Amino acid sequence: MSRFEIYSPEGLRVDGRRWNELRRFECRINTHPDSSDGSSYVEQGNSKVICIVNGPMEPSSKAEMSTSKATLKISLNVTPFSSIDRKKRSKNERRIQEIVTSLKRTFEQSIIVNKYPRTTISITLHVLALDGGLLSSITNAITLALIDAGIAMYDYISSVSAGFYNNTPLLDLNQLEESDVSFLTIGVVGKSEKLALLLLENKIPLDQLESVLAIAIAGGHRIRDLMDKEVRRHGDLRLSKLANK
Amino acid sequence: MDILSVSKGSGFAYEDAEVGSDEDVDILIDEDETRGDDVQLDGSVKTSVVTPGELVTDDPIWMRGHGTYFLGTNTYSSVAGTISRVNRLLSVKPIRGRYEPETGDHIVGRIAEVGQKRWKVDIGAKTHAILMLGSVNLPGGVLRRKSESDELQMRNFLKEGDLLNCEVQSLFQDGSASLHTRSLKYGKLRNGYFISVPSSLIVRAKNHSHSLPGGASVIIGVNGYIWLRKTTEDISQANNTSLSKNATAISAKGQYNVGSGSVSITRLEEESSWEIYSDVNDEISSTLRSTITRYANSIKALAFCEIGISVERIISAYEASMAYEDSGKLVDRETMETIGQQVINGEKYRGQ
Repeated sequence: MSRFEIYSPEGLRVDGRRWNELRRFECRINTHPDSSDGSSYVEQGNSKVICIVNGPMEPSSKAEMSTSKATLKISLNVTPFSSIDRKKRSKNERRIQEIVTSLKRTFEQSIIVNKYPRTTISITLHVLALDGGLLSSITNAITLALIDAGIAMYDYISSVSAGFYNNTPLLDLNQLEESDVSFLTIGVVGKSEKLALLLLENKIPLDQLESVLAIAIAGGHRIRDLMDKEVRRHGDLRLSKLANK
Repeated sequence: MDILSVSKGSGFAYEDAEVGSDEDVDILIDEDETRGDDVQLDGSVKTSVVTPGELVTDDPIWMRGHGTYFLGTNTYSSVAGTISRVNRLLSVKPIRGRYEPETGDHIVGRIAEVGQKRWKVDIGAKTHAILMLGSVNLPGGVLRRKSESDELQMRNFLKEGDLLNCEVQSLFQDGSASLHTRSLKYGKLRNGYFISVPSSLIVRAKNHSHSLPGGASVIIGVNGYIWLRKTTEDISQANNTSLSKNATAISAKGQYNVGSGSVSITRLEEESSWEIYSDVNDEISSTLRSTITRYANSIKALAFCEIGISVERIISAYEASMAYEDSGKLVDRETMETIGQQVINGEKYRGQ
């Protein structure tokens, strides 16, 4: 037995949560109004992410232009000081590249890209602190920043991770749990049970997959509600200011 | 630290999750039905915010405009914004977004690229706008044909980085704009200072170029690009649409002559010399420079307070800024807030 228990017999996890509890989720949109078209800041537990969206705009080169739809450019910067062991991660690291590819595929589906032909949408991410749930916090940050930029989307993509340990599904893992538990990350489309993203890098028994997915989807819905609340709060604030016009 | 519980039951996860999500769906439908009724019955659309994926109406009677998409008979919002209804057309206006050009908009743009018989102009929209060689006034008069030699010396007229004010002539299928500068009030900009504000803040008006007190004039581009410059003789003449000028023209002569407020074609030919594409600034005195700076910072203060920008407000903010000796101090947060408040209060006072 290691120093800590992933899931104690009393039903508590390392940070005192129960199996079906999310970490603290806080988000802000329109954090960088002057330097971007859309921006957001997401805190999921101790993970902190900034997202900046610029566009739709004229592509910098003709080669990356599509005549039928918008092209997405995503750059992900995991800062060296984000995790406990300070190490420099390059943008070309394979893991980062994989995340970028899966994000690109996810958002090409959920943005109504054919509304913006001959344009580029550039998404820049900075991970300031990382405590598990890298992909999920990034996905949520992108969703919020895209909404702030006024880019047409079919629905929210809310993302959360869930793991499986000792016959119990665990929701929203932190860094400690991620290293010991096999887990998946999903992106839920709005209030539906459709998935826009599913990433499973290790193994979960097939007969248990359904229960893990169920708790992850429920968690995704909760995060969608929290993001929606923030979008509405900001929208109402804007509308009240517009009264001055 | 507050932790958010997803489902409170202690039973097995799957059933819990199912029940929870079913409840969510029920609530959703209830809310949306009332929303749909709101739109139909009062005729006044609810001003609250809708967010992407939200059901706007399930009535197939509505035409789907911008900011919406549909599945079957249901219309959903695709952006975060407010519902707007024009007759049967239902659209969602995003809270934030890039400038969307419309025919007739008076805008300020920057040349981004010189191409085959055309310039690409950055106007702050999703794509660059196009300015055809055929839609500019070239030295030598309006009726001049554009020859091959004109094509070859396009950079002598307008080159990358040049600012110009122009009008949206038409829109292409994909929403990008085609511009023209076929009037004396349009053309290359010089003698001034450029400011960019969100395009949503610009109040659309009949006229977008104005003379300001203190020897400066302003072009408030509908796209949120603003040009402040020295008032010169030809500018004050080109600003012929300003009401006060017309009024003085009438009163001075006692009668209104047809075309006295506008530029005749013959004059247009006289003025269309190489002068209009000049890159050289006139002599600008240091007092005028500080006046322009003060105007620029007043506009920044208005933009910071998210107050709609019109020429009246620019002047009123400028007057409010006179309380501060150093115009560099105007960009302090508190000062900008005070100036915004004064502009709003002043309007309320005058409105009473």
